[in-house]
Amino acid sequence: MPDIKTPTTRWTLNGQEVENTSGMTILEAASEHGVEIPCFCYHPGLSIAGNCRICMVESNRSPKPVISCSERIADGLEIETESEVAVDARNSVMEFQLINHPLDCPVCDKSGECVLQDHSYSHGPDRSRFIEDKNIRHTKELGPTISIWGNRCIVCTRCTRFCDEISGTSELCIVERGDRSVVDVFPGIPIDNQLAGNTVDICPVGALISHDFKFEARVWNMERKDSICGGCSRGCNIEVETLDGFVKRLMPRENQDVNDWWMCDEGRYGWRHLYSDDRVLEARGPSGPLDSSRSITAFIEILDNSPRVAFLIDPFLTCEELHLVHALAASSSDSLVGGWLPEQGAAAEFPAGFKISADKHPNRNGAEQVFGHQVFGEDASHLQRALDDGSIETIVAFCGGPDPDGPGQEWSAALVKASTRILFSVLEGNWLDGAALVFPATAPLEKEGTWVSEDDRLQRTRSCWKPGETPFPGELVLLQSLQSALGTRSRSLSAAGIFRELSEVCAPFAGHNHSDIGSSGLLLSDRPAGVGAGGGA
Amino acid sequence: MAFRKIFTQHIQKKTCHTMAFYKQHGGYEQAKAALSKRKKPDTLIDLVKASNLRGRGGAGFPTGVKWGFVPKTTDKPKYLVVNADESEPGTFKDRLIMEKNPHLLLEGILICCKAVGIETAYIYIRGEFVFATERLQKAIDEAYDAGFLGNNALGSGQRIDVTVHRGAGAYICGEETGMLTSLEGDRGNPKLKPPFPAIEGVFGCPTVVNNVETLANLPYILEIGADAYRAIGPENSPGPKLFCVSGHVENPGTFELPMGVPLRTLIDKHAGGVWKGRKLKAVIPGGSSAHVLTADECDVAMDIESLAAAGTMLGSAGVIVMDETTCMVDAMLNVMRFYHHESCGQCTPCREGTGWLAKITHRIAHGEGRMEDLDLIQDVCDRMVGKTICALADAAAFPAESIVKKFKSDFESAIQNGGSPAWKKRHPSVVGGAASHA
Repeated sequence: MPDIKTPTTRWTLNGQEVENTSGMTILEAASEHGVEIPCFCYHPGLSIAGNCRICMVESNRSPKPVISCSERIADGLEIETESEVAVDARNSVMEFQLINHPLDCPVCDKSGECVLQDHSYSHGPDRSRFIEDKNIRHTKELGPTISIWGNRCIVCTRCTRFCDEISGTSELCIVERGDRSVVDVFPGIPIDNQLAGNTVDICPVGALISHDFKFEARVWNMERKDSICGGCSRGCNIEVETLDGFVKRLMPRENQDVNDWWMCDEGRYGWRHLYSDDRVLEARGPSGPLDSSRSITAFIEILDNSPRVAFLIDPFLTCEELHLVHALAASSSDSLVGGWLPEQGAAAEFPAGFKISADKHPNRNGAEQVFGHQVFGEDASHLQRALDDGSIETIVAFCGGPDPDGPGQEWSAALVKASTRILFSVLEGNWLDGAALVFPATAPLEKEGTWVSEDDRLQRTRSCWKPGETPFPGELVLLQSLQSALGTRSRSLSAAGIFRELSEVCAPFAGHNHSDIGSSGLLLSDRPAGVGAGGGA
Repeated sequence: MAFRKIFTQHIQKKTCHTMAFYKQHGGYEQAKAALSKRKKPDTLIDLVKASNLRGRGGAGFPTGVKWGFVPKTTDKPKYLVVNADESEPGTFKDRLIMEKNPHLLLEGILICCKAVGIETAYIYIRGEFVFATERLQKAIDEAYDAGFLGNNALGSGQRIDVTVHRGAGAYICGEETGMLTSLEGDRGNPKLKPPFPAIEGVFGCPTVVNNVETLANLPYILEIGADAYRAIGPENSPGPKLFCVSGHVENPGTFELPMGVPLRTLIDKHAGGVWKGRKLKAVIPGGSSAHVLTADECDVAMDIESLAAAGTMLGSAGVIVMDETTCMVDAMLNVMRFYHHESCGQCTPCREGTGWLAKITHRIAHGEGRMEDLDLIQDVCDRMVGKTICALADAAAFPAESIVKKFKSDFESAIQNGGSPAWKKRHPSVVGGAASHA
């Protein structure tokens, strides 16, 4: 029921009197009552264009059918969505949409998730009365990542409105008139903005095609998992689509508190290093590869023989993994923990409010919650000084980022001052030279657990594929095995189980568990004011 | 009272377009009276309402009522946009006013600006009207020099600026909201209504959009009063009117006559009758967007109500006359190509429908028609009418459905005999049609 203070409007939908918050459009209001009116040009994140006309319904206030995306509900308004007038209007639009549209669904990347295809099944004719030659429009590259297949374009202008309103870059426009009109760019100005990939997502047909995904997979064959983008500390909600266990595409997932419907191209295309030939895929010692149990034995041996162990964490680790590192560090006396941060990138804010953070990692905030907020500051300086003065012999360092330089030159130089180095890395790199043990690290999209975004939002990231022919145990499993071998853990738990342990000992997470995080995350509310995670930008 | 011409009275005179000539013949007297401080704007609006002046652009909306929709108190500037795009095929009346009588338009603009409280007026003129633009600009310069326009227009203390803006040759920019979008600097796509221009028009501000001929009526209404004006022609759509007659007549041209003149009189008396002694076949009475009339239906008065009752419209009063030798298939192809070319392409039914109609008509004309195409044309028209943002889809469908319905035998003949006569004449070797789809 609507809030008492919110004014409501009583109107009639398909003969039934209904009530909605005043000011809603017919399309939105009908949807609240389970009546889905088809649309092409309407997108909740964009302005109303009202050009596709498929959402026409019959109204008692107009002699002609009205478009439900633009007309608003009013007291006494009577709307029919299934009357002869409404159905005929809808079918008319479908017929018009299809007459010049190519029947190339078998080779179209949008096939299977195409709005035109879906509406064609529900509202379209089963045969064409159109025997003329179809119109030909251009197929060309609009930018480094996107091409237009003009014949498929239904000129809904979602993409041009996106570039006008959301990215604010206005590269796309409609050229020509009538049934020759098609999306294009201005000469010499390709579409190359940081949000360009979203235009492909919102294209209701296969007119805008992403070079990255072209001919890669049939969408109905892919598996989908909700996750979080690890590209920066915004924590954009995403859907990871995999085929036969391989990532094919990242898509933004709607979350009005974080990323609306969008994601940036940096995050969208930032997963190729997962398939790099340079990945570290198995544990190894100085004498060669080690299997799982021998690597743990070697690890324990080093810990047992080290008077003082230091840990260098990274902001890619999940809260659960960090909790395990924390526990491991706590089990040996006199240990030191510090964290390293990747170099700051470029931050951006777009006209519609979408933001890209300068912090190119997902969980600095979470690490600060688990270890206290000095972990990347004072603790890190302290650790660096200890390394410099040679008081640390053994260090365990993590690098889950995409950089082959690991934690960067400064830290790499400091690390070699510890004689025994146990290094977790996603990619091979010079910083691994001379390590006592090297372990494969999991990258974002391979981790199961939680991250805390720069806005203090606790969100779940999911493991969407496992690298390597024989998958290696990730940090979550490996650190628990170490604890078992050390006798500090009785049984191995899932990420949810570790989170429960974390929530019991770490105040900011108290009272939460994996299942109540849900698909859109939750705010960690009880932080003292002024202790923000930001400050990096 | 004898009918007095107000637009074309002096157009034969060489200097008719100058301010001196215009003033000599009583010009700007009405604007001076209207702009005097004692005159209340509302009395002007009431006068125009009482005169029953209907818009001359095509839709025939009551001008005074339209002015009344503009908010009286608003913190935004208000604009007048004069529609001088005159893009409707068969129409050439506004051009005559602007070329021969530009000060009449300027006087009308002054009166409108006073009535609605407007300081800035734009004249959106069709780009091809180079000569009209020059004449108009010259007249505006004269008016500024004389202090009739500018910061203290006619000494009234009110600022009234007039700017001429040239279009770039799109039919759709004659549509009221398409014109406003174009004026704003965007591609001239019509806008969703509501909001209507009177509330949110050009640059998001309240805007009056009036046709050239509409505004040019205003000085005369002020001069003779609402009652006398209403007595010219039918009471509900009165006034002097410019009729443009083109096509197969002996004496084509623009004729100023009282509203409600019989169509037959217009063609036979004023336009010299159908040419070459031939018989009348068809007439489009109000620009190419109107339903066509057969020769038998031409006993009709040329005013808004009478033509609506006859199933067509006065529109822009562009009367296109076709003689008995006209093949209506070719005529329709001509019209359909135009709408296909000019549809802006934003609404699906219009974008696809205009192209489809043009292709079907083309196919019939070229000897590849099928009998079922005639029903298909009707059906496509039904599916276009009333389903788009602006009326361009209607404008394409109205002539199409009426031509096919009223001149079915021409189409049947083209389908059965391998194409339209004109096409067969041009392509004697392929008569019988190319590979048929049927």
